[in-house]
Amino acid sequence: MEKVITAPVARPATAEPWKRVAPASRLMLIVASVAPAAFGALAMVLGLRFELALLFVFLPVQLVLGVIAGRRISGKRGQSDAILQIFIIFFAATVFVLLVSVVWSVIESGAKAISWQFFTQNNVYISPTTSLEYGGVGHAIIGTLLVVLLSTVVTVPLGIATAIYLTETRGRSRSVVRTLIQAMSGLPSVVSGLFIYALFIASGITQYVGWAGSLALIPLMLPTVTRVAEESLFLVPQELRNGALALGAPAWRAFWIVTMPAAKSGLITAVLLGIARIIGETAPLVITTFAANSTNYNVFNGPIATLPTYLYQFTAYGYDTSIQRAWGAALVILILVAVLFVSARVITRKKKTSKKVK
Amino acid sequence: MSQNETTAAPERRSLRAKPFAKADRIFYRVSTIAANSSIVLVSLILIFLGIRAWPAFESQGIGFVFGSTWNTSVEPIVMQIGPMLWGSILLSILGVMLAVPMAISIAYFIVFMAGKKLGSSVSVLVDLLAALPSIVLGLWGLLVFSPVAADWAKMLHDALGFIPIFANSGDNFLRSPFIASWVVAVMIVPIIASITREIFSQLDRELISASLALGAGRWSTFRRVILPTAAGGIVGGVLLGLGRALGETVAIYFVLNLIFDINIFNILEPKGGSVASMIMSKFGEASTAEVSGLMAAGVVLFLVTLFVNMLASYIVAKAQPWRK
Repeated sequence: MEKVITAPVARPATAEPWKRVAPASRLMLIVASVAPAAFGALAMVLGLRFELALLFVFLPVQLVLGVIAGRRISGKRGQSDAILQIFIIFFAATVFVLLVSVVWSVIESGAKAISWQFFTQNNVYISPTTSLEYGGVGHAIIGTLLVVLLSTVVTVPLGIATAIYLTETRGRSRSVVRTLIQAMSGLPSVVSGLFIYALFIASGITQYVGWAGSLALIPLMLPTVTRVAEESLFLVPQELRNGALALGAPAWRAFWIVTMPAAKSGLITAVLLGIARIIGETAPLVITTFAANSTNYNVFNGPIATLPTYLYQFTAYGYDTSIQRAWGAALVILILVAVLFVSARVITRKKKTSKKVK
Repeated sequence: MSQNETTAAPERRSLRAKPFAKADRIFYRVSTIAANSSIVLVSLILIFLGIRAWPAFESQGIGFVFGSTWNTSVEPIVMQIGPMLWGSILLSILGVMLAVPMAISIAYFIVFMAGKKLGSSVSVLVDLLAALPSIVLGLWGLLVFSPVAADWAKMLHDALGFIPIFANSGDNFLRSPFIASWVVAVMIVPIIASITREIFSQLDRELISASLALGAGRWSTFRRVILPTAAGGIVGGVLLGLGRALGETVAIYFVLNLIFDINIFNILEPKGGSVASMIMSKFGEASTAEVSGLMAAGVVLFLVTLFVNMLASYIVAKAQPWRK
């Protein structure tokens, strides 16, 4: 009994597929988004723990109401869409809460420890229980800056030159280099530190010293710098290079006056991200530079304190005051990372606007 | 660059495919040397670690990887990293299991649900999370998160303690793999999320529009169009996160008890292991022979992460055929 269709089925004149099925949909949406929270709050007032109320009252109520509202508003597919959206927002909110918790606890607890002298003084004559009016992380800030600076000075030219090799030349070993850089990014930081420790310190060539820490950071920084720089050079249109070459520029001039300026912001981002990658590294520095109490301006002589090792050391002591100092150091690291991060953002944003002009 | 205005056409010159100027040769030479020195650096690390680790492998044999005793006070010393290696793997797997739904959700939210402005500010937040140093996360995990998570663990144990996974013989819920895997998850969510976001935003928008135009809802579009197309990239991102989790040192050291007694899946018990943290905790008072053992542990860890990373980059490259 099959119906024979002779002419194409005409769309009903009244069909308006873009319209919502139920006219009262706005009201339903409001109910579906307010009621679960109300139920959750009620459960908490009745004495349920926050997490349990969230998981066993709020979420189920939200799901049921979402399914009902979705079904009424856009028919059958509204159901599964509602479930998908509820879970997506739930998980995304979890990430958000965790992030805010981390940042807020560092800012809140760190602000208590921070004062002017915390930035300027060093750790000489300070025991874990000394009150916070004395001593600070000045020596560790200087140490971090020096150690990171030394690694940066070595790594950035190396990394960017490697990126140039990968994008600008047709060298035969490009895929090998790319694979090895990829492999290096998986090197656990503690193994890198152990490598330098065994090479220079355990073998008696030197004592704990700042430059050993810088060396241990190089394999960690190099992959980041290379990959971001490669990415930004790769994004420069090939026509630009070809144009420069066709005008008679030798390859190095084409790179210097055309490709590099075009990728400049990306290259700077590469450097900043590389620094952000190593500025909080702890394990390799604990193994290679050790900790020092006094300010040491010389990376090539004697142990040097850095912020991560300071934080590690004072957390390990476990006294109230030492932990407050650790929070203070964490806040200082966070500020350094935020500064780097924001400058990277600002630089990449400039790049985007200049691209729109094109 | 002096040019004679009067000559109409430049002089003929032969075409050459190879760099002809001296400066060019230097340019290529320098970049080649840099690239080769990274090759040398990696091989140097591998060879040197291998040489230093060899005595431990030789004296311990295969038991080094699978045994579960670490005793350096007896003669000959016994060094076996079984529990630590299994602990690392367990933590990474648990961390990935916690992180994947969160990461995919946040990537989906950024790309498909939020508008342009909200999406870009959320992705800034995710990148910020990626830039947090692990020691700061470790401090947060130790002092802020551990007490809360221990409560969760206790509730889990009270409700579901009859299932062996949630069994706990003592009354201590702190410093367990459960807590450490949450900290690891917080650490790897941004890695997986940023790769997934990248892949989602590179998907062909017409595929999605077509699916929606055919009457599919958001869910069927996600399940039937987005996920299959993006699966390879997501798996690659997950493996990269796994590699990061395997190498994590200080944060885990702060929130986990390292115990040389194999704990297969009792995730609420306050005993676990992590190769990287073990290296860090032991190196201080290590003798020469023990340093060799730690080196060997580092080599094993490096090989595992190397394998995971290679697999990841292979899968990511396969999943993005539109790149190159």
